[in-house]
Amino acid sequence: MKRAQAAPALSLAGIDKSFGHVQALSEVSLEVRAHEVVALVGDNAAGKSTLAKIIAGVLQPDAGIIESDGVPVTIANPAAAHALGIASVFQDLALCDNLDVVQNLYLGRELRRGLRLDDEAMEDEARRILRSLTSRIPSVRTPLAGLSAGQRQSVAIARTLLGEPRVVVLDEPTASLSVSQTAEVLMHVERLRELGHAVILISHNMTDVRAVADRIEVLRHGRNNGSFSGADVGYEEIIAAITGASAPPRHDALRDGPRSA
Amino acid sequence: MYPSRVNTDRSTPGSQTSLREANRLRLVDAVKRFGGLTQVELAAATGLSTATVSTIVKELIAAGVVETHTTSRSGRRAQKVTIARRVGLVAGVQVGHRHLQVTLADFSRTVVAEQQMPLPAEHRLDTGLDRVALLIVDLLERVGAQTDELLAVGLALPAPVDSATGMISVRGVLRGWDDTHIGQVLSKRLATPVFVENDANLGALAEHDFGAARGARDSIFVRASYGTGAGLVLGDHLHRGYAGTAGEIGHVQITPDGPICRCGNRGCLETVVGATALLEMLRTSHGPLTLRDVIAQAIEGDPGCRRVVADAGARIGAAVATLATGINPQCVVVGGELAETGEVLVGPLREAVLRHVVPNTLAPLEVVVGELGTRAEVMGAVALALRSTDVASDGSAVQGFAP
Repeated sequence: MKRAQAAPALSLAGIDKSFGHVQALSEVSLEVRAHEVVALVGDNAAGKSTLAKIIAGVLQPDAGIIESDGVPVTIANPAAAHALGIASVFQDLALCDNLDVVQNLYLGRELRRGLRLDDEAMEDEARRILRSLTSRIPSVRTPLAGLSAGQRQSVAIARTLLGEPRVVVLDEPTASLSVSQTAEVLMHVERLRELGHAVILISHNMTDVRAVADRIEVLRHGRNNGSFSGADVGYEEIIAAITGASAPPRHDALRDGPRSA
Repeated sequence: MYPSRVNTDRSTPGSQTSLREANRLRLVDAVKRFGGLTQVELAAATGLSTATVSTIVKELIAAGVVETHTTSRSGRRAQKVTIARRVGLVAGVQVGHRHLQVTLADFSRTVVAEQQMPLPAEHRLDTGLDRVALLIVDLLERVGAQTDELLAVGLALPAPVDSATGMISVRGVLRGWDDTHIGQVLSKRLATPVFVENDANLGALAEHDFGAARGARDSIFVRASYGTGAGLVLGDHLHRGYAGTAGEIGHVQITPDGPICRCGNRGCLETVVGATALLEMLRTSHGPLTLRDVIAQAIEGDPGCRRVVADAGARIGAAVATLATGINPQCVVVGGELAETGEVLVGPLREAVLRHVVPNTLAPLEVVVGELGTRAEVMGAVALALRSTDVASDGSAVQGFAP
């Protein structure tokens, strides 16, 4: 009950963004609550990554309102996003191959005891987080170069959990992974939801999206083109919304109706 | 999971012996968790020194608990430590409504590797079976096994299965999986015999062979999950019925003027206690939830979720009572995801069964929670695959017939 009534952990409304003459986003809205997985799907150049970058504070919107827990905010830079409890994993993962798992997790925010690095505390915390994700990385002291693509994705997701974030944004986490690695990442996404995080999942793979998402938001040519409940929607319906074969049936009124009543 | 070792020479905690024992357990745990690891990885995973790991691994090899395989993954040759396996491997697979579970086990039924994966609602046969096949191959690689070490696969499906053809025998129960020889299709992809069976039947088999119904000649296994079903063991044998639909209590009519069910009949138990019905009841008060949320919140003590699960227990209990009156089992074992709530589900279920069943003073019917939890079905699939494979005295495996 309290979950449903709380303000969205993050809500974006009427977001516009243009690059010169190209209107990348126009009047896009998106909201995600705690304990919810919202999938953002759409064709290439639909504006998914632009929206993710706005949430992460990498890009600034030209217009629109962003609210965090119902309070209007501006996300001026990635540090501001971090301060708001928003953690993002981008497609390139931004991990360092020559550093080990612990060093990657704490890069730029190392724990210190006096002047020295507190290696022990960092290692313990890294183990705890990887375990909470039920991750299959045997050693937290393995250099990243020795890990598989799926394990790297696990490390990148684990890194987002360090600052106890409220919102986790995952950009194409299952692209270029094998089936068992995909299974691992999808289990992580389920786990993040169970831990009470709000998750925004950007993906091309409809099977993966429908497996874990509570809600699926479709973007087309930089506009919202449909919002579906993850449990009920069929594959064809989503594809129709992505290609533009179906008009945007915004479910917001319907979905919020019984809740606000 | 792992047969707990009986500590005969009792040692004081903190002594050298108990420390060594704790380290051994830690190491075995790590091997099981990751399937297969090199000794260097083991040292890092357990926090023990490489020298200690090396000593313990030698001890464990001598005791027959683990074994080493030479692998050349990612170009380097390495000794991989895995749980020791006897003769060969079998795979148990459970395809649920929202999850896929794949388990590799050896001939002593020891689990050597497993992986779960979320599935979309109304998932399809083609992508489903592709994922099963690829996951099995991935797990084999994880434990350093060749594909020809896989001797059989047991597949659990949430629908009645005709065991002779491996086809689903009631249309519409598992949408998109009808009209296909599922066993044959998967068998072609893996070049291994595949035995397909209903999940509740496999749960019944597992609980009878090594779970809560051990020692009972006649038992009923009730599976309360996204759908509801039951498996029957009569005279120590799984009773499938002529076309595999025995025990389908989810499709017993309980409200004659109720909604139409997937199976085509009207007012089935499943239209009242199935996941869709349960979640719909909570939609106005709790907003959109998943079945996993309902179970988690019922365990946490949310009154609404507890009520929904408890009422479902009572409705299922009434249907089980009718079945129990018909066959007079020694015990009823309750499994499936909803049984994770323990007495929240099983209390009202037991009460309803005992209220409606013919009272028997000589041997009163027992209603208990399953011992194997949500692993019952997949372990049943492992047991089915093992039963279907005979082991010759020279250690080589010979394919037999379905049990």
